[in-house]
Amino acid sequence: MASFSATSSLSFFSVRANNPQVSGRNSCLKVVSMVSARNSFTSLRTARFHVSCSARPETVEQVCEVVRKQLVLPAERPLLPNTKFSELGADSLDTVEIVMGLEEKFDIEVAEESAENITTVQEAADLIEKLILKKGA
Amino acid sequence: MLSYLCRATSSMKTHCFNQKFFHSSFPLAPVQLPSHQETHFWYILPNEVKNASLLNQYLELLSPHEKENVFRMRGEELKKGALLARALVRTTIARYQVNPQVSVTSLKFRKNIHGKPEVEWPHNDDGHQPLLHFNLSHTSSLIACGVTMNSPIGIDVEEKQRTIKNNILSFARRYFTHHEVELLAAISDPEVQRQEFIKLWTLKEAYVKALGRGFSGAPFKTFTLRYKAAAKGSFHLSGNSNSEASEITVDSFENASDFTSKWQFAIFELAGSHYAAICRGIPAEAEGSVPMKLTVWKTIPFVEDKRVSGTDAVVRIGGLFD
Repeated sequence: MASFSATSSLSFFSVRANNPQVSGRNSCLKVVSMVSARNSFTSLRTARFHVSCSARPETVEQVCEVVRKQLVLPAERPLLPNTKFSELGADSLDTVEIVMGLEEKFDIEVAEESAENITTVQEAADLIEKLILKKGA
Repeated sequence: MLSYLCRATSSMKTHCFNQKFFHSSFPLAPVQLPSHQETHFWYILPNEVKNASLLNQYLELLSPHEKENVFRMRGEELKKGALLARALVRTTIARYQVNPQVSVTSLKFRKNIHGKPEVEWPHNDDGHQPLLHFNLSHTSSLIACGVTMNSPIGIDVEEKQRTIKNNILSFARRYFTHHEVELLAAISDPEVQRQEFIKLWTLKEAYVKALGRGFSGAPFKTFTLRYKAAAKGSFHLSGNSNSEASEITVDSFENASDFTSKWQFAIFELAGSHYAAICRGIPAEAEGSVPMKLTVWKTIPFVEDKRVSGTDAVVRIGGLFD
């Protein structure tokens, strides 16, 4: 799917799709929920994407809400769990605001060392569930 | 307007049709290296760069890895911003002509052990690495690069109009120090409070970037920035200043620095639209309170450079600088 119209004066870039484009979706890719349901899978890491069973789809959705609000993403912009915030134009203040928004939404506290490791929706969701689990223990 | 697609990763150069009609051959004006007291600050306004073939000219300066990173950005404006940032840093460093073996396209970058980007110069016979330091900062509407000799530097720019999504005092309580929270809490006007918050953020961010250890290397809660009235009579400042001479100092609760224990700060309003903060490290044995000599250029590489320090594009807010 071409990202740029042929008549755009800015279309000097080639069309590259690093990740599959999901058209018209407001929420995160549903494939995450399918994978998450399979509890027997161990966490797989490939060069391209990280499949994890730890974060539930509801958590991922809620993280997406916070990120969308902070970065003022247009509704048609897909937000994939593994897209880096920086690729969406987030700077360090945005990332800190996102972390704070997540702390308030989930009633958790994220240590500053961990905050630096939150670079995608997936990483945020995984950390949140870990912290909630720790809190409950 | 004719449009075309240029392949980013192909090693073959695709000469785009429009380039025959516009290819800026205005060379990069060489600049003398900053002296040990000087800070050079270069910035570009993305809104002023619209010409597709100029943008392609910039694209051709980048390494394959940099091009990949540009294309990873989601959205045209973000791609353009990422491209201009790399073009700015490459062309800026190239102007100083530190090493005849190194051109704007052959410049290599790496990260130091803490993750801070630096230039990787070719090895000299005597093993000495040039002492040019740089730091980049960017917003969607302005991208800046600061340059010094022999001093670590960090810069941060933010739009003056930037809105904070969280409650400012909650944010400050969570991330800033007690003294800084008190400073902000004492401001009753929410708009002024928001502005002061952003100025404080840029100064803190500039310090962390100068330290070069990343956000977790110097958490914001572990150091306090203060404005102090400067000692009178110890120096002369240039006339273009509305604010009182104030020095900005940092008190760190941890032993933050390895080799420099003095940090100079400058914060100013830039192009009427942004706050810009600079932090540079100076040797502990340097004389106290020597103002930073700041030179600011607005640039469109290969098209025009305009020195704007001393004009109303640069309005001091705090810190000792000329």
